[in-house]
Amino acid sequence: MTAVCPGAASRLALGETVSEALANLYAQRQRSALALLGILIGTASIVAMLTIGHMAQRETLKLFRHLGVDMLQIHAMPAGNYPVGELDRHAIEHLTASDPDVIAAAPLTADHDTILAGERQAELGIAAVTPDLPRLMSLRVADGRFIAPIDDGNLVAVVGDQAARKLSAPGAPLTLGSAVRVKGYVFQVVGVLGPLPFTALDPTDVNNAVMIPLAGAGRVMDSAKPTTALIDLRPTADAKTAGARIVARLANPTAVLQVISARDLIRGLNAQKAIHSQLLTAVGAISLLVGGIGVMNVMLMGVMERRREIGLRAAIGATPRDIQLMFLIEAATLAFVGGVAGLAAGLIAALVTARASGWTFSLAPWVLPLGPGVAALVGVAFGLYPAIKASRLNPIEALRAD
Amino acid sequence: MLQVFDLEKTYGSPTRSTPVLRGISFSLEAGAFCAVLGPSGSGKSTLMNIVGLLDQPSAGAVRLDGAIVDYAAAEETARVRNGDLGFVFQAFNLLPRLSAWENVALPLLYARTARPDRKPLALAMLEQVGLADRAEHRPAELSGGEQQRVAVARALIRRPKLVLADEPTGSLDSVTAAEVMALLRDLHRRLGVTILMVTHDRDLAGRCDRRIEMLDGRIVHDSAFA
Repeated sequence: MTAVCPGAASRLALGETVSEALANLYAQRQRSALALLGILIGTASIVAMLTIGHMAQRETLKLFRHLGVDMLQIHAMPAGNYPVGELDRHAIEHLTASDPDVIAAAPLTADHDTILAGERQAELGIAAVTPDLPRLMSLRVADGRFIAPIDDGNLVAVVGDQAARKLSAPGAPLTLGSAVRVKGYVFQVVGVLGPLPFTALDPTDVNNAVMIPLAGAGRVMDSAKPTTALIDLRPTADAKTAGARIVARLANPTAVLQVISARDLIRGLNAQKAIHSQLLTAVGAISLLVGGIGVMNVMLMGVMERRREIGLRAAIGATPRDIQLMFLIEAATLAFVGGVAGLAAGLIAALVTARASGWTFSLAPWVLPLGPGVAALVGVAFGLYPAIKASRLNPIEALRAD
Repeated sequence: MLQVFDLEKTYGSPTRSTPVLRGISFSLEAGAFCAVLGPSGSGKSTLMNIVGLLDQPSAGAVRLDGAIVDYAAAEETARVRNGDLGFVFQAFNLLPRLSAWENVALPLLYARTARPDRKPLALAMLEQVGLADRAEHRPAELSGGEQQRVAVARALIRRPKLVLADEPTGSLDSVTAAEVMALLRDLHRRLGVTILMVTHDRDLAGRCDRRIEMLDGRIVHDSAFA
């Protein structure tokens, strides 16, 4: 007699049903391909949306790589007839003590000028800073030291990585102890920074700048007073109220104060992104719906064409559940194949978007199972009706069909 | 083996009903080879469908191998169709995508027979019907007689107790029909299977051990009681 597997009493082997489903779909490949198209576009737009969203988030966070998401910047713009908007250095440095939401604060002034070193000269940024800046901008000193409290207003300078390269001549590299000249003043190099890629939010491109003590800035700049305050807030602080409080404290007649808050920027970027996401989600959902209807159509036609087969299977011992499962798996397989193709198309679209926006391509690993998974779910949902219809066919009438 | 009690079948609504079977009773002992004769519309196909558990009677009962059939239990009737019954149709009903042996092995799928065991069983069955060399052919590559022999092999692969053949030679020319009939006789003798065959061909019916004649939903003649 025949061997019976005891474990699989209620369900047919899944792998076998899937391979049979693939054979059936291949037999009607032209019609299957059309149904796949909707699923493909739907899955592709969802995969693209998720991947682009994921990349955008990483890009947004990159903006705050140096400054952190709790950063607040206050810029002083000249008010009325005052030539320069100024801030009070001591008020800024006192913020850590006077404001409970401030962890660290550093004043600075940024400008640019022609800098000379030996035979070389370069157009570089010049930033008047205080010893607190490395902490706020995550600066790393590659060689020597950063500006220290002891420097006060002395003629010392710390040079950015790129700036150091630009001021080096073959055989005469810019090193510790070298002299750089700004507006006739000679500064002695006491430190060189490690490379730090510029992000749009940095108050100055430190990579391409020469930093000098703020106390002595009056020699080479319009004012010895800072024009910018960099502030690091407590993560629990409310950026809006803290910003308003700090502005009130730093307000003075020379300046109109402009506040840039990392959180506000992130909120703005997210809102912009949300519009794109919603649009792509809508496109994806509509495509999946159309694709699902396509799957239903293919399956319904398949059920009609294969009535005899259904009748025969019923006659030789298929239960209504076996028949239902057969068509359900066929619908899911069809949609899954479309989902895999859509995954590939979506990733390609995301890759192209990344190239066009100058982003680094990055893949969220959970997108991989999600795309085809959603597609298969759509297949099951839209395959349910044809499958139930097939299982309810009267076997006698089905066998008599032509 | 098979007992049928006062079987009635009525189609249509209660107000406009058409009786097709009007009280059919007979029994078939194991190992019988019985023909059901009658003109079209006499109810013989309906009788076959009810005995084959594909249709439900309006009244009456069927006892198969000692147990009264519960027509409402879909899973159970499917199991009985798979294991205890074999069907041979006039139109063969082979699946065109599948090779001969795959068609023969199809009932094993629903018997949950392990995949590697199926091919040898199907090949052995094909040998029984004389088609060992046609195992890999698709139905379209086989003659009508060969297709029906594949269908017979499919009906027998689970070694059923009762084979129901509905006009098995109805689509075949007389020479091929005689061959298929001879095959059925041969398998009946060798495997001891019980066969109930619907036909309107008196010559074919004459080659069966017993003939039941039907007219207008009633049995009008049974050679067992002649």
